[in-house]
Amino acid sequence: MSLIVVGISDLQTSGDPQDVFITYSLGSCIGVTAYDPAARIGGMIHYMLPLSQIAPDKAAARPAMFADTGVPALLNTLLSQGAAKNRLVVKAVGGAQLMDQHKLFNIGERNFLILRKILWKNNILIKASDVGGMMSRTLRLELDTGRVTVKSSHGEVEL
Amino acid sequence: MSVKADLIQRLSSLPTVPVMANRLVHLLNDPDARPGEISRVIQYDSALTANILKAANSSFLGFTQPVTSLDEATVRLGTNWVFQIAVSSLIYSNLRQPAAGYGMSADETWRHSMAVAVMAEALRDLLHLTSIGTVFTAALLHDIGKIPMGEFVADAFPALQELVDEGNASFEEAEQAILEVDHAEIGALIARQWRFPEAIVDCIRWHHYPEKAPVITPAIDLVHVADAICLLEGLGIGRDDLHYRLCESSIERLRLNQDTTEKAVSQTMAALDAINAAFINAPAVRVGR
Repeated sequence: MSLIVVGISDLQTSGDPQDVFITYSLGSCIGVTAYDPAARIGGMIHYMLPLSQIAPDKAAARPAMFADTGVPALLNTLLSQGAAKNRLVVKAVGGAQLMDQHKLFNIGERNFLILRKILWKNNILIKASDVGGMMSRTLRLELDTGRVTVKSSHGEVEL
Repeated sequence: MSVKADLIQRLSSLPTVPVMANRLVHLLNDPDARPGEISRVIQYDSALTANILKAANSSFLGFTQPVTSLDEATVRLGTNWVFQIAVSSLIYSNLRQPAAGYGMSADETWRHSMAVAVMAEALRDLLHLTSIGTVFTAALLHDIGKIPMGEFVADAFPALQELVDEGNASFEEAEQAILEVDHAEIGALIARQWRFPEAIVDCIRWHHYPEKAPVITPAIDLVHVADAICLLEGLGIGRDDLHYRLCESSIERLRLNQDTTEKAVSQTMAALDAINAAFINAPAVRVGR
């Protein structure tokens, strides 16, 4: 087994069933896993912000920073590696907030909303999600089984 | 003996910051300082100069011609940038320490501090608040109190956690309730002991509650908001997790909007790569705990 750490503003894909993806410290950021159980190809993204229009130069350098550039990049990479769109199992985690939520700081909520829009346009449903709340999360995807787990201060659960 | 009295007694045995750090901070705050004064002070410290040149030549900044002198670095990158690298280098060993009870390793404490400093600067620039020389240093030091507090927080963690989970207290409120002292209070005492300007001490003291400051300055609001955004975006989350309050009036006073907030996030990520390149043992942006 090799553990592949997906950093902040990072995306990784693999077709090696031995690989396990993990990402830490998901606050308002969203971690998305996409997995094709037949081809056993999968990937993970950890994006920070919803829309790249606020900083197109940063999006060009790091597409995985934004949902609207990163999520399509994740899907396209998986499809080019042999995954089929209609088989993709997509799960999403994160989108948390601080205490005393202020509308300016609802980055988490906006991050999740834009994800749903992008996936809807691509005819992909979110199979499972664990979003919102006031806790940070760690997300894991095992490529041999497609098992997705989420860990927070409330413990670890399978998604 | 109370935790606070115990902590205060221990503060006297904390390592001091290099005199140079102090000198630079005061110099940057001095309206009468001549241009180029900062480089003139730095040039006598060869290790510091080497660090600045290394940062100036990091591939993240994208210059093809190498920078070979302090003057050149200042011309290309600005006095403020040189100051930031200098102060960060000088405070590095004081700040790169574990905050055990908070679940932060030395590396994580350092990287969270640096992220908040860079975020506060990004916000300051985007909001065109130009005349605040203290923001970067204050943001860098905002959590310094967590280092000596860590041991006490570790011992009291179950009680703190319970108050946060059941009592809807922020982590800092829980510290006050159970330990009768909080990390912002201790941080301010340390900065004062190091003889940093009072403007910096105040930013550290009130970084979770700008409203409680006797005089609310833009610098206090900036450090508070930058810390909140970094926590939200996962740049340095510890065991205290996201259990902190956001001061709404800080956002109003700064006239911060969504666009500016998100721009600051994207700029911070890019700037952190460049700045971290200056520190040999600090890989770019934390990847895990």
